[in-house]
Amino acid sequence: MFRFFSAVRKEYLLLSRDIAGIIILFAMPMVLIVIMSLMQETGWNALAKEPKVNVLFVDNDHDSIGINMGNGLRNSGYFNVTDSVYGKPATVESARAAVKKGDYLIAVVVPEGVTKTLRGNVRIAVAKTLAGFGLINPRLVNSLAQRGADTITLFFDPTIKKAFKGAVVSSIKEFNYRSETGMIFRSFNQEIAKQFPDFKPPATDYRESLEFREVFPNYKEEEEVPTTVQHNVPAWAIFAMFFIIIPLTGSMIKEREEGSLSRLMSMPVSYIELLLAKVSVYFIVCLFQTLLMILSGIYILPLFQIPPLVIGNHLAAIIAMTIVTALAALGYGILVGSIANTHQQAAAFGAVSIIILAAIGGVWVPTYLMPRIMQHVAPVSPLNWGMTGFYNIFLRQAGIAAILPSVLKLFSFFLVSVLITYIYRKIKSPINN
Amino acid sequence: MSVQPIIEIRNLSKRYKGSDEPALNDISLDIYPNEIFGLLGPNGAGKTTTISILCGLFKPTSGEVMIDGFRLKDQLDQIKQVIGVVPQDIALYPTLTALENLTFYGNMYGLKGKALHDQIMEKMKFFGLERFAKKKISTFSGGMKRRVNLIAGLLHSPKILFLDEPTAGIDVQSKIVILEFLHEINRKGTTIIYTSHYMEEAENLCSRVSILDRGRIVSTGNPKELVAEHPEFKNLENLFLALTGKDLRD
Repeated sequence: MFRFFSAVRKEYLLLSRDIAGIIILFAMPMVLIVIMSLMQETGWNALAKEPKVNVLFVDNDHDSIGINMGNGLRNSGYFNVTDSVYGKPATVESARAAVKKGDYLIAVVVPEGVTKTLRGNVRIAVAKTLAGFGLINPRLVNSLAQRGADTITLFFDPTIKKAFKGAVVSSIKEFNYRSETGMIFRSFNQEIAKQFPDFKPPATDYRESLEFREVFPNYKEEEEVPTTVQHNVPAWAIFAMFFIIIPLTGSMIKEREEGSLSRLMSMPVSYIELLLAKVSVYFIVCLFQTLLMILSGIYILPLFQIPPLVIGNHLAAIIAMTIVTALAALGYGILVGSIANTHQQAAAFGAVSIIILAAIGGVWVPTYLMPRIMQHVAPVSPLNWGMTGFYNIFLRQAGIAAILPSVLKLFSFFLVSVLITYIYRKIKSPINN
Repeated sequence: MSVQPIIEIRNLSKRYKGSDEPALNDISLDIYPNEIFGLLGPNGAGKTTTISILCGLFKPTSGEVMIDGFRLKDQLDQIKQVIGVVPQDIALYPTLTALENLTFYGNMYGLKGKALHDQIMEKMKFFGLERFAKKKISTFSGGMKRRVNLIAGLLHSPKILFLDEPTAGIDVQSKIVILEFLHEINRKGTTIIYTSHYMEEAENLCSRVSILDRGRIVSTGNPKELVAEHPEFKNLENLFLALTGKDLRD
């Protein structure tokens, strides 16, 4: 153990004096987290949070249909409703022109007298129903004729998707049905009150018997979608851990090229002991990297008006994911460092392979925003296994059990990398160890 | 000599993968305690390969080696305890200080604490490096690096010391100090196996030499006696050229 700790000290001294290596390990991922979060904040919200759509609402009715529809659109939470264009009250023509120009995506025009028409038609329908019970003279009712339906006009920008158009039309119909239902009840009450003076209509309108409530699987009040921070902090922490391949392979190959490894192999110390010492130092570096990234997500990003990282309550799961991700990264580094002949070879291959695996794995662009084919390809990357695990912890509040598949995959990757390295050294290396 | 050899090499061969010619071709050699033994030869003769096999760095293709009574094949750990190696390359960490380098290598031999520190400082003083102990190796001249490189192989006072061209590319002053030191530790009982391209240096330093060429030993003996046996050559270098030829080697 004494030799091991001495080798650890040597590795620490070498790394602490490698300024370029320290920048790669600590500064680069922190800068990436801040820059990528700032860059992605606006676009991400547009994709992930679906901002409100601007709707121009022209109410020529000025009665219950127009008022209810306007309030319904405003209260839905999906629309920013306005009734004026360029500072003037909107008209049919100005609404059409504004949508055509692209200033508004949707315009809704409620025609004049639509409530009056509906109210008249409802009364006729109610009277006919009551006539069937003999409460109203049928001859009087038969002489009444319903008016034709009025038209609510909708203008859509051509970029609006068909599904969204359908949703808007459904919402407007729903507001209309509510108004109509209310009118029918009130009309019935009024007609019955005329026939039975003792009848007292209910104080409140009819209420819907069905309500819909979205319950979020994390049992929180708000839905948690991956924010730039919830994505970028784990993404770049994982990237940084795997990018340790550059200083790690550099250290391994330099030691080999400069003859220090040969000298050490002539001494009473085993290669495994030396390699373990090296790996231990870089392993601690990985843990510090992750800690630093998480702290910067919590404390530094808010300084840039970016929401802070929310890490949840499963500290053990975070530690487990960090440990296995670090081991996977180190396993890959050891493998490349053993196979590569020169530092340049290892640095070039290591950097390019990590960037490709990061791109595939959803570090640059999250997998759920990728095309379907890339979503199928993503799970081949070990960085994706890390991303999946951290997403489970940060977004789904998952504990150890839920991240177990990611943990097992990453740990297996580490074991396989070390095994291949061992076999390769036994076959290829001229050094007798 | 009736003394038991400290190193016995029997029918040692080494062929590198992909190479047409063997690097070592059936060499046999005895090296006795307290000798300064020179392995001489042109480039590619097999000197470094021989030392690398004796230090346990390369596996031989065939043959047997015994070092200080231990068989190389299966008692390498014991052998590593009694040997010291000074490689041809400056096998030091440039960003560490001389003291840090030497402390680390000393630790690898199991040395530690004040005893190691005193040992390092004593050797550094001998080699005129005492005031540079806390300077990084990257700031050292070639001669200073060679001296530290030598100290790193001596800290545990090995019974047998392998030196691969320890005076290559250094100034005369450094060379004199190194050679004096080698004489000194040899007088105290260290067996030295040494490779060099400098014939005059080997002639003065070594008690015996082997001249290798193309993986074979072409001559072995005391350098002065070898020259005396061939009166047509006035020194070891002339004899060496006669035995190995004047063709350029890779």
